[in-house]
Amino acid sequence: MSYFAKMKGTTKSPPGVSLTEVALSWLGSFIGITVVAILQSLFFDGTDLVLMIGSFGASAVLVYGAVKSPLAQPRNLLGGHVLSALIGVGAFTIFQSQPVLAAAAAVATAIAVMHATKTLHPPGGATALIAVIGGEKVHSLGFLYAVVPAGVGAAVLLVVALLFNNIPKGRRYPEFWY
Amino acid sequence: MTARIDACVAVDISDDDIFDAMKDVSGYLDITPGDFKEVYLKAYRHAVTRLTQSVKAADVMTRQVVSVGEATPLQEVARLMADRKISGVPVVDDAGKVLGIISEKDFLAVMGPGSADTFMCVVAQCLLGKGCLAAPYRAKNARDIMTSPAVTVTEGTPIMDVASLFSEKKINRAPVVDKKGVMIGIVSRADALRWSLVPEDR
Repeated sequence: MSYFAKMKGTTKSPPGVSLTEVALSWLGSFIGITVVAILQSLFFDGTDLVLMIGSFGASAVLVYGAVKSPLAQPRNLLGGHVLSALIGVGAFTIFQSQPVLAAAAAVATAIAVMHATKTLHPPGGATALIAVIGGEKVHSLGFLYAVVPAGVGAAVLLVVALLFNNIPKGRRYPEFWY
Repeated sequence: MTARIDACVAVDISDDDIFDAMKDVSGYLDITPGDFKEVYLKAYRHAVTRLTQSVKAADVMTRQVVSVGEATPLQEVARLMADRKISGVPVVDDAGKVLGIISEKDFLAVMGPGSADTFMCVVAQCLLGKGCLAAPYRAKNARDIMTSPAVTVTEGTPIMDVASLFSEKKINRAPVVDKKGVMIGIVSRADALRWSLVPEDR
């Protein structure tokens, strides 16, 4: 296929989901983010630590909205966040004097490592980026960033996903663990 | 080989079929109909390969083979084929090695007026009162009319390859030989067909 012809696309968009599915996705993600936010306000506000980072909004899309997706499975959710966090902190540590390079290297390397470890989880890219652009508070965490917020936050989303997604008849989670 | 599998793979599944099937599954499927179709067709091809390669000649061959020696008189060969209602018989040496094969075609080929090689040519000759066309071969032996070397297959030849061979060489049976060329069975068109009709309990 020629270069420009490829840009036309070849197939159509997958079917839309039922209203029930829409409602379940809404409710699941509402609960998941609520739990993380409550834990944040109970145990982390006023400390040097954070639990809530932006990439969890993206994870919620997958683990409550695209439950069957390989990208939404526990291996990807936990592995993607933790590995990307390590990469992000590493990239910031090495390239902190060159913010452009640090940001690009963090995201690109995170994707490569997630691919190589079969843990591809799109929000991981955000987790890696936040390690670089997240400001003083995030920078001061150092590699602890990979445990809190990345690891613990992802684990909370996972627990809620397991509890919530297995209640409705038409849903189950996960498809696989590792 | 590839051509045949492609023929099998020409499954008429449309993007709409896939789209409708995806609608039957509750929840959001993280794949486009186009990608699914590609995966489906590749999986189908793998399944065809697996099924066609998994049944070997040894699985369907007849083990009790009626055979003759190269010095067996044709009278005896013909009698044997008639009694056993078989249309071909392998010619083997004392060690069981396949030297050739005799089929109805080999008889027909030598019975007619030169190029006669069908049963109806022989019938026509008989009806014209030209006597027994086989008469000149009364004193001959198996080696005089056998097709040699015979097309053979091994125990491990996939049955689909055997079927292709039958069609390509225009033959109806092939002796199955071991590594030393010793006959251990025979596989016929009927054997190959039986497998394709009833994939047996595997």
